[in-house]
Amino acid sequence: MEALNYFATSWTSLDLLALTALGTFLGVYIGAIPGLSVTMAVSILISFTFSWDVNNALCLMVGIFMGGVYGGSRTAILLNIPGAPSAIATALDGYPMALKGEAGEAIGLSTVMSVIGGFVGIIVLALAAPVVSEFALKFQPRDYLMLGILGIMLVGSLSGNNLTKGVFAGAFGMLIGTVGLDPLTAEERFTFGVVELWNGINPIAVMIGLFGVSEALTQLHYMNKAAIKQKIDRIIPRWADVKKYLPLSLQTSSIGVIVGALPGTGGDIAALLAYDHAKRVTKNPEVPFGQGAKEGLIAPEAANNAAVGGAYIPMLTLGIPGDAVTAVFLGALFIHGLNPGPLLLTENPQMFWFTVGNLALANIFVLIFGLTGIKLFSKIVECPKGILIPLILLLSVVGAYAINNSIADIWWMLGFGVIGYFMKQYDYQVGPVILGVILSRLMDENWRRSIISERESLPDFFINLLSSPLSLVLFISILLIFISQTPIWARAKAMVFK
Amino acid sequence: MTAIHAKKPGETLFGFLVLTFSLFLFWQSYEISGFTALSSPGAFPLAASGIMVFASCINLLKDIRRPAEVGGFEVFWSKVLPPIVSIMIAIIFTFGIILDTLGFIISALLFLIISIQFLHQKGLVRSVLLSLLSLIVIYIVFRLVFSVILPEGIIPEREIMAWIGSLLN
Repeated sequence: MEALNYFATSWTSLDLLALTALGTFLGVYIGAIPGLSVTMAVSILISFTFSWDVNNALCLMVGIFMGGVYGGSRTAILLNIPGAPSAIATALDGYPMALKGEAGEAIGLSTVMSVIGGFVGIIVLALAAPVVSEFALKFQPRDYLMLGILGIMLVGSLSGNNLTKGVFAGAFGMLIGTVGLDPLTAEERFTFGVVELWNGINPIAVMIGLFGVSEALTQLHYMNKAAIKQKIDRIIPRWADVKKYLPLSLQTSSIGVIVGALPGTGGDIAALLAYDHAKRVTKNPEVPFGQGAKEGLIAPEAANNAAVGGAYIPMLTLGIPGDAVTAVFLGALFIHGLNPGPLLLTENPQMFWFTVGNLALANIFVLIFGLTGIKLFSKIVECPKGILIPLILLLSVVGAYAINNSIADIWWMLGFGVIGYFMKQYDYQVGPVILGVILSRLMDENWRRSIISERESLPDFFINLLSSPLSLVLFISILLIFISQTPIWARAKAMVFK
Repeated sequence: MTAIHAKKPGETLFGFLVLTFSLFLFWQSYEISGFTALSSPGAFPLAASGIMVFASCINLLKDIRRPAEVGGFEVFWSKVLPPIVSIMIAIIFTFGIILDTLGFIISALLFLIISIQFLHQKGLVRSVLLSLLSLIVIYIVFRLVFSVILPEGIIPEREIMAWIGSLLN
């Protein structure tokens, strides 16, 4: 009964209801406008909302997250430009549908299936999180250390095509996270005698730089890309279509929620796997895949929204973010004084059930905003980049300054923006940097705890690691990811499939 | 066999800079507490920077082996750092420099007018109007609604606000 009360908090308060609606509305547009991303928006937003009441701030950010994942599909369908990475698979069949004059139908179907997927994810989150949380209480410090390494390696290997660059980025982030006074001994680390660095580099400034400024600078390369306008007619999908594709939607939602729950994997991978699943299970599609098959649109859309609920499971129960967006989100939770982890559900059950309820509410708003306001949408999405980019840069500056009212944070933000720009140019992923910054403290503390408990003996550390089933599974997973990216693996695979 | 892509101009130099930076950080990590204990404050940074050195060595070796893209350093200015990007970086850094002295309103307005005029190129009057409108919206949302304190600079913003407040009262 108590859980239900907490669940309904954002449904019954007018303020929270309005903030969730506003967040979802903004999220749909942020996700849809190429050049703007949910990660960018949440990073900038943290700096403005950290003085707010935690519930208000969470409502706005959850709305943006949920709306943003859905919003990416709109431009994927209409312009063949995925607004977010999770909408890449949507463009494969969504855009051909639009070219055939079925843009309205594609948007309607993708909205309904996104909402169904979203609910599947939320239900799984509500059911699985307490179980995972209970299990996570048995985790040893070394398991947390390895979960951190696993997350960074997964993001590093899956988000780009070069593991060593991903690993470098993750380690760089970990190092940024250690700048300042050591939390255990107060010894200075990388402060170079500058007192202002004792508190470290603000993670929000790093986030805004890497996701706001660097993305805006990268977008300058695509200034002349002309957008193609599509005609949109009926948006509300036919009931017969919804009924027909419901089983596929539920199947791909399950894929989405599982993939989303794995550290390092997010909506983009979930959507691509779901698309592949739809291709395999649909024996005789009415329209071939890649030419406007409805199955090819429904599968990724259900999966990427289901992945949101899935991604919340490790984030809330283990304090481990799944990808860059959840890493930023996790940063926001820490800033608001919440400590996501196994104890969150026992110490702060209201926060957990509030989040579940709020996600469900945001999902309903996705349905409302997804099926309405299409004319306004077309106008906003056509906002020229020449206006959009200066605005993103200005908001990044305002956001960085708002953290501590300090010009120094603006310089950190701009510095990381330029570094992030060059990293992107040379195929280094910036996602693992943020993951490293967020996980740095957790990994540092858990490494030291575990090695102290082994009396500084590295052999004992490994003996205990290999004798604990959980630690062993995590260790083998890390090894497998590493080996799977080496030339030895590629050669072995080529030999097997020859 | 996967195809070997030609490296982008400046990629080897970037890889070399990354390696140098990693080595510097490794040395700085060592300076924290040396190799005294596995649980020392420097142990974790040492491991992280060690990974950075290792990974950047591999990346640099890979880059050296890859064929260079035709066009050399001229292509760097067109593909990696085209004038549009370097000019925007210069504009945003100048904005950062003048922000503290001139204050948010004037510096942000100048930044918007110059950058919109440079990127959008639809006439100065349009750029000024768009910049003014955007600045008004941003000011209302962030300064008045979110209560974000922004650098005042040469405009006595608080006095003006107080005066407007007294007029309204």
